[in-house]
Amino acid sequence: MTPELPGAGSATGDRVPGGDSVAGARAATEGSVPEARATTDDVGRAALAEAQGRVVAALVAGAELPEGFDPERMRAQAAGLVAKRRGIVARIRPDAAAAAGSDLAAEFAAYARARATPPPDYRTDAGDFAAWLRLRGRMPDEPPPKRRWWSRLPGLS
Amino acid sequence: MGGLGVGIGWRSELDLTIERMAGVDFLEVVAENIKPAHLPESLRVLRARGLPVIPHGVSLGIGGAEEPSPALLAHLAACAQALGAPLVSEHLAFVRGGGLEAGHLLPVPRTRESLRVVTENVRRAQDALPVPLALENVAAIFGWPDDELTEAEFLAELVERTGVGLLIDVANLYTNQVNLGLPAVAALDVLPLERLAYVHVAGGYEHHGIWHDTHTTAAPQAVLDLLTELCARTAPPGVLLEWDDDYPSDDVLASELSRIRAAMALAGDVR
Repeated sequence: MTPELPGAGSATGDRVPGGDSVAGARAATEGSVPEARATTDDVGRAALAEAQGRVVAALVAGAELPEGFDPERMRAQAAGLVAKRRGIVARIRPDAAAAAGSDLAAEFAAYARARATPPPDYRTDAGDFAAWLRLRGRMPDEPPPKRRWWSRLPGLS
Repeated sequence: MGGLGVGIGWRSELDLTIERMAGVDFLEVVAENIKPAHLPESLRVLRARGLPVIPHGVSLGIGGAEEPSPALLAHLAACAQALGAPLVSEHLAFVRGGGLEAGHLLPVPRTRESLRVVTENVRRAQDALPVPLALENVAAIFGWPDDELTEAEFLAELVERTGVGLLIDVANLYTNQVNLGLPAVAALDVLPLERLAYVHVAGGYEHHGIWHDTHTTAAPQAVLDLLTELCARTAPPGVLLEWDDDYPSDDVLASELSRIRAAMALAGDVR
């Protein structure tokens, strides 16, 4: 087993067991020392992480567009991502989609704009969208949880 | 990689449709939608009939800055094992950055520098998988300002460095021709077709001059023409139809498979 490396889990991520020795063997056959290779890799990964992070932030969190990108295309891509989210949310919460009705696209776009970043998963997204519609009076309150039949049985509570 | 034939992407909404449809030779299932220990009954029925099922990942982000997640790789490996799959497929894409999920496949910057990182990611993935990996070209709406290679050149380099297989999506080639001006037929000339695992076909629609690869409608003739072009160059081991939402009648899906077979047969005349 490879010992846990200090700092692992940040830019270089978690190591696959035995992965280091494989990478080391490859580096050796390619004629470079593993340490030098790791450094080049880390620099490459850091630069890529920075670039991709800025693009994702611009697309889903309203951050400024990095230089050199076509603003119109990035708007289309961002709208495409919101549309995809909307489709999945509508499948998870058909009641919310039905409540928004023909305004679903506009309501979901407004909801997405109103928050700084999208939630980490679609189920949270769907619940948050329903709550947002409810706050705006577009959706009835959640019905109270139904009493289970066994809770009505005598002697049980 | 053996002959797969003509197939369709399995979706839970299409389970009975696929079970009773004639002329389906193989399937693909989105890996994130299944639990290897509890496969959907329909997939078990279809597997029992001998149909190959390929796990198709969408969330690995092998073109991302981070090394591919060992947990996601373990899931893909478990899916491959549970399904007895001949291979696993994923995308040449990144799906997250700076702690945020993009929610979809985004095109990687096609530079020499990112090629080094992605090459290492692919090797990590290959080391963790019990079966060969094939990577798919993606449908892009935007390009990076510092792109040095076309997507086909980037994939060809990856294949040469790692031996990874290719899943060529002809609808995505068409998308990138419309959206990025990358000629699709020229891409077929650059891609190492001897490493072709299988092919994707799907439909989409144009909106304000941008092609959206939605998988919700019949493939346009231009996409099937590309399939014919590809088949004129090599006999693909498999060709698979993707349909993801707005599901049509069984007849429409069957006729899409017929259109695919016709486009493949037409290649004999082109050759």
